Amino acid sequence: MLDRTPDFPSPVREVGPSQKFRTATGGLIDRRRARDFTFDGRTLTGYHGDTLASALLVNGVRLVGRSFKYHRPRGILSAGSEEPNALVELRSGSRREPNTRATMAELYEGLEATSQNRWPSLSMDALSVNALLSPIFAAGFYYKTFMWPASLWEKLYEPMIRRAAGLGRAADAPDPDTYEHAHAHCDVLVIGGGPAGLSAALTAGRSGARVILVDEDFCLGGRLLAERREIDGVSGPEWVEQAVAELKNLPEVRLLSRTTLFGVYDHGAYGAVERVSDHVAVPAPHAPRQRLWRIVAKRAVLAAGAIERPHVFGGNDRPGVMLAGAVRTYLNRYGVLPGEAPAVFTSSDDGWRTVADIAAAGGRVAAVVDSRLDVPVPLRRMAEAAGAQVVAGGQVIGTRGHLALSGIDVRDSYGSTLRIACDTLAMANGWNPVVHLDSHLSRRPVWDEAIHGFVPGQLPTGMVAAGAASGRLTLSDALESGARLGAEAAESCDFRATATATPRTDPESTAHTPLWRVAKPKGKAFVDFQNDVAASDVELAHREGFRAVELLKRYTTLGMATDQGKTSNLAGLSIMAELTGQKIPAVGTTVFRPPFTPVAIGAFAGHHRGKEFRATRHVPSHAWCLENNAQFLETGLWLRPAYFPRAGETDWLQTVVREVETVRGKVGLCDVSTFGKIDIQGRDALAFIERVCANPFGTLKVGRSRYALLLREDGFVLDDGTVSRLADSHFVMTASTANAARVMQHLEFCRQWLWPALDVQMVSVSEQWAQYAVAGPRARDVLRRIVDPGFDLSNEAFPFLGAAEITVGGGIPARLFRISFSGELAYEIAVPAGYGDAAWRAILQAGLPYGICPYGAEALSVMRIEKGHAAGAEINGQTTARDLALGGMLAKKKDYVGRLMKERPALTDPDRPILVGFRPVDPSQRLRAGAHFLAVGAEPSLAADEGTMTSVAYSPSLKHWIGLGLIRRGHERHGERVRAYDPVRGGDVEVEIGAAAFVDPAGERMHG
Amino acid sequence: MAEHATLWRPRGAWDLYAQAGRHGRREGPAGVTVTPREGLALMSVTAVDGAEDRLAAAIRDRLSLSLPEPGAALFSGETGLIWSGPGQWLALAPARGDLDGLGAAVTALAAVADQSDGRAVLRLSGPDARRVLEKGVSVDLHPRRFGPGRTAVTSVAHIGVQLWQRDDGPTYEIAVARSFAGSLWSWLEEAAAEFGCEMRAGG
Amino acid sequence: MRIRCPYCGERDNGEFSYLGDAAPVRPDGMEASAEAMHDYVYLRDNRAGEIRELWYHGAGCRAWLVVTRDTRTHAIGEVAPARDIAKARAVTPAGSASHA
Repeated sequence: MLDRTPDFPSPVREVGPSQKFRTATGGLIDRRRARDFTFDGRTLTGYHGDTLASALLVNGVRLVGRSFKYHRPRGILSAGSEEPNALVELRSGSRREPNTRATMAELYEGLEATSQNRWPSLSMDALSVNALLSPIFAAGFYYKTFMWPASLWEKLYEPMIRRAAGLGRAADAPDPDTYEHAHAHCDVLVIGGGPAGLSAALTAGRSGARVILVDEDFCLGGRLLAERREIDGVSGPEWVEQAVAELKNLPEVRLLSRTTLFGVYDHGAYGAVERVSDHVAVPAPHAPRQRLWRIVAKRAVLAAGAIERPHVFGGNDRPGVMLAGAVRTYLNRYGVLPGEAPAVFTSSDDGWRTVADIAAAGGRVAAVVDSRLDVPVPLRRMAEAAGAQVVAGGQVIGTRGHLALSGIDVRDSYGSTLRIACDTLAMANGWNPVVHLDSHLSRRPVWDEAIHGFVPGQLPTGMVAAGAASGRLTLSDALESGARLGAEAAESCDFRATATATPRTDPESTAHTPLWRVAKPKGKAFVDFQNDVAASDVELAHREGFRAVELLKRYTTLGMATDQGKTSNLAGLSIMAELTGQKIPAVGTTVFRPPFTPVAIGAFAGHHRGKEFRATRHVPSHAWCLENNAQFLETGLWLRPAYFPRAGETDWLQTVVREVETVRGKVGLCDVSTFGKIDIQGRDALAFIERVCANPFGTLKVGRSRYALLLREDGFVLDDGTVSRLADSHFVMTASTANAARVMQHLEFCRQWLWPALDVQMVSVSEQWAQYAVAGPRARDVLRRIVDPGFDLSNEAFPFLGAAEITVGGGIPARLFRISFSGELAYEIAVPAGYGDAAWRAILQAGLPYGICPYGAEALSVMRIEKGHAAGAEINGQTTARDLALGGMLAKKKDYVGRLMKERPALTDPDRPILVGFRPVDPSQRLRAGAHFLAVGAEPSLAADEGTMTSVAYSPSLKHWIGLGLIRRGHERHGERVRAYDPVRGGDVEVEIGAAAFVDPAGERMHG
Repeated sequence: MAEHATLWRPRGAWDLYAQAGRHGRREGPAGVTVTPREGLALMSVTAVDGAEDRLAAAIRDRLSLSLPEPGAALFSGETGLIWSGPGQWLALAPARGDLDGLGAAVTALAAVADQSDGRAVLRLSGPDARRVLEKGVSVDLHPRRFGPGRTAVTSVAHIGVQLWQRDDGPTYEIAVARSFAGSLWSWLEEAAAEFGCEMRAGG
Repeated sequence: MRIRCPYCGERDNGEFSYLGDAAPVRPDGMEASAEAMHDYVYLRDNRAGEIRELWYHGAGCRAWLVVTRDTRTHAIGEVAPARDIAKARAVTPAGSASHA
């Protein structure tokens, strides 16, 4: 059975005597494949098929970790994902992973495990002195203890708490492994591969339905691998093997073991994480460590089983005290004997199975303590035959031993205390259905008196619960309900399915009288092992008034941390119920949220880490930029060339100044393809543009471009760009790089929802065209060598704001716009993006005689600041057209988006900051964006704040720093001096207010 | 004009990113074969409201294809029409210029915009093509739900894509905005690595 | 969450962007009052129950949709193209520009 999971081959080798507690035969481990591993540096040996937990137990290692708050010695409580105690660091170096459950870690050759939360060593923990100080660590301790003086928080209290508490250490180097995402769809999702889940998958799968079965274990079978049961005359594991073999032959069934379904989301969406390579030291080549599945299922059968309940008694956390079901798992599945003198503490018939199993393995049992007075006679006889002392109507009240259990104190039905020597104590206090997943969508579980536990309430749409997860705790019920619900799920997806006759199983009893806590325990009786919450903490919370279940959780931390209270919740609730004189369902339960068990951040990130954190868009000139040492900057998803350093240039500013001077003096080339380009056609295209733009377009002629200002309906500026009219009913609109997607969404909203009757066809052509600005006094000369003959580039034939469809390079379609962002004589030429690289190279070559240079986003930004054009720093969602000194262009005679709301009093307040230019009074001083404006001599205060500097640049044209900013009544204050106050960076510069346009304010150059 | 021939050569959308040859697992046959589809003619066709019937007739005359329903793609040889949104289709033909005149053929019935350079297209085939795509595509690609002649506009690794299935090999084609080609390839190379990926020369 | 786009079929909600209540109707034209526009932009009911709301299938077919959703359970009922609904609305008399 083990061989169905892939594993690296390793030499077959006999094992020495180290596995002291290994049974002679049996178990689902492969005794021919030994596995060496280390725990805290000590080399131990187990077998393939072991978990780290079973391999530690088989070598007699009981002490595995220290508790969270008191640093009490802790061992292994469970054999599954509910484990609260046995958390270890796995692996080392960059692969080190803290808080890994030893019970879930598959043993592999060379596995390295380290205990955590101990100093200096596991057996000699200096901080266990905390246990002596336990009164100050009681519930709510961090709300109470470190209240005063507050100044000590950062220096003393917090470092102290962090050192003392906290669990493992994360790796301190980047994870070398990869993680990936995958999607899956199915008709029926089966959650859990135990008897119910396998039965459901079989009936659903046989119908031809698409079935996905997920199970967190590395072997399918659930409790059938852990119990000695018979189904139709074969053993549980044999039945599992047959079922799995059949499922593997069904082409539409997918089995995902080592896969935890961690979240249930609306409308049949599920999240699961597959531990593809956690069972090997290093992932196989090209294999991810983990894979995050997003599963969409029409129906789901929840067959996640149940978790056994611990008893609450003094010292119940001592290493050696375990869940009875876990003791049977270690014995039957892993061939691990429960010590030399095990005892059983049970409140149910099912706990007595533990006695039978130990006896069957040839072991003896020291004692059985059953909290019920009436014990069925056959059970008592069976135990006595195994050498056990039987105490009916008794309770374990305390434990003995230090780092491991050496004995228990038992109060018998007459009130006398007995001392019984034992090295393992198996607790059986009934089972709680796993109601976590079905309550992920805020559906609360409900109380079931028959099993004294919560069962699923109203299940998420499409989900049903089968077997133990539904509160039906017998094997025969699991097989029956699984098969029936699997068939029903397939039927509801329009497949013909039949549930076969339920197989025969050996007799079983679920008789159980829960013992919520032991009265008068000796020592701390833990409710939540992981958070060190004892019964006395629940009592304290009750005394202090934190009685509501949500308050109880937050005050005591009961149910928090990595196990989310899987073994503790009900115990806490039952004690609060007792204290408040309520029934448990009246106390209620907290609601579980995803994830069911912790999921590595790497799995959520998948491919998206490092430079793949998000997608990157490249401009058409990218290849040339790479070849020519361009420096890049990110604008949204775009990687734009920022500047192009030349040999000998030592500083970005030097480069940018050279680029600006070249454009202003000669000619430059800039890739502006990142702007959004929207093709708008239709009889009503112009009417549509009029409604979405705030400035008028009625007079825009074919072959012309115009600045376009778009408002949001609330009156603030959305974006700006240009609209060019290519034909009578054919326009192309540009949007800024950062806002392109938002503008497209807005225009679609206007077209589809606001004005659906307009005849408008709209499509993004952003990616079709590479678009380059050719700017500077020699721009026309350069373009003459690019544009195919026959097109007249003269100022008369193609003036400022001209737009034309032309050809270049001997017939390649292109578009030419005479638009200037730099304020120079400038064109933007668009060519099909496939020719973008060629066009870029051709223009640079054509420009050689004129001294052309490429310029990047930095130089572009400098020149737009020199020209006083608003950009992203000013069009920031908080500014109106008036604020940007664009109020004059607003249309008066048409309706458009934002028309009415921009007139709100607060938006037309003359005191609103308005865009103007700033220059330092002392021209040697540097300006900083983000500085606040204050009157000269004014004390800095919110009331004195007059606005902010939004953009700054060193102006190569003026040879000093310049800035754009928004200041109260700025347009009326030209020549006035104010302070640009920037306390964060120590700036306090006197500046003079002036016009926003610093260079060529009349715009003569671009018209030339 | 002589200099044009050398200077004005188009550049493939995948040139900078996807090198021809074997990627990922090297043993055994490649699980997925990737072929860049360079030089295609692509045009978006957006119907004028109320003119759909006449548009369908005009398209039939010009391309011998009917207008596919939402989610459908129709092919005649290597020429196809792929639904890409309400009232919108992507016309596809094997070589630049093949769709010239389409705009004129549907004047007043639809708006046509050239997208030949705006989309970068890959063809994916091989036994593991579907498994690779399923890592990124949240749409159900199972043969019961998606097959030859089906298309989806969706996203892969947060990148908008359109994909369609050509045959039940299965062979898929996936189109992405040209500027995202590098990021899409980066995802694809990693997703396909475990199966072995053969990148063919463009064609 | 999964939303059944009438064009593309059921898709993850990550493909969609949310706008909000689909009830308010823009008061179009030069006659519209500032008060009516204010209500259109800002006034929303916050209902516990079924609400018709606008979603944009931006990572898919780019259709704006009117999705009927129960805010208490996230149960999604009818999903219709916003444009079809807007067209039907357009034939109702002008001036009824208020909450539908």
